[in-house]
Amino acid sequence: MKNLIMFWARECPHCKRMMPLVNRLEKEEDISFEKLEIWHNEENADLMRSYRDIIAPKCGGQLRTPTFLNKETEDVLCGEVEYETLKEWTSK
Amino acid sequence: MKKYWRCFVCNDIHYGVKPPEQCPTCMVLNAYVEISPDEAKKVTNPSGEKFDREKFLRAIEEFAKKNEFQVNPDQEKVQMLLEGLFNNEQNHGLKYCPCRLITKDPDEDLKLVCPCHFLVHETYQNKEDGECWCGLFVKRR
Repeated sequence: MKNLIMFWARECPHCKRMMPLVNRLEKEEDISFEKLEIWHNEENADLMRSYRDIIAPKCGGQLRTPTFLNKETEDVLCGEVEYETLKEWTSK
Repeated sequence: MKKYWRCFVCNDIHYGVKPPEQCPTCMVLNAYVEISPDEAKKVTNPSGEKFDREKFLRAIEEFAKKNEFQVNPDQEKVQMLLEGLFNNEQNHGLKYCPCRLITKDPDEDLKLVCPCHFLVHETYQNKEDGECWCGLFVKRR
């Protein structure tokens, strides 16, 4: 099983839009994201900050939500994207 | 380094590297004296009045009026973002963007306070349907 994280925020509209797409992808492709909320959970926030050097260069220099991270390959996808883009990213 | 300055005539407060030569409120020249952050806080908000959601929304609508952007017409999205901004102010001290995370570097994190300088963001710049990171502000069509 791939080691995938989705960093998301409770009041982030982009995350709200992406969540059903992520859930659909999990069902259809038999993969699983560890979904970590970052504004109301300090442990999750610290974990996201610990990946700053990997995430920020690929996300406009910022720690944005949603951010998808493959912990093994350190590949990153951030922001609101289409279903097919997310699917393609997870299949890498 | 930015400091607080108070007009000795009308108590106008300025936060900046240096004071304005002329007070924009009472128009007096060379009227500013440096003060402490505590004094600035007491002068600007003596009763500790809260800046609530409705007031903030009116303020950003007024701010947007004079610019090329507007507050997102999608009310549901705006309300969700306001919830996030005010939760962040309560839990983390300032109205940080709900779609980004603070780094814990105070100077860096000031760039995340709403409204941020989104005109330079890749989601806004050179885009017909540009918007700020979170979508609270959108380019006026």
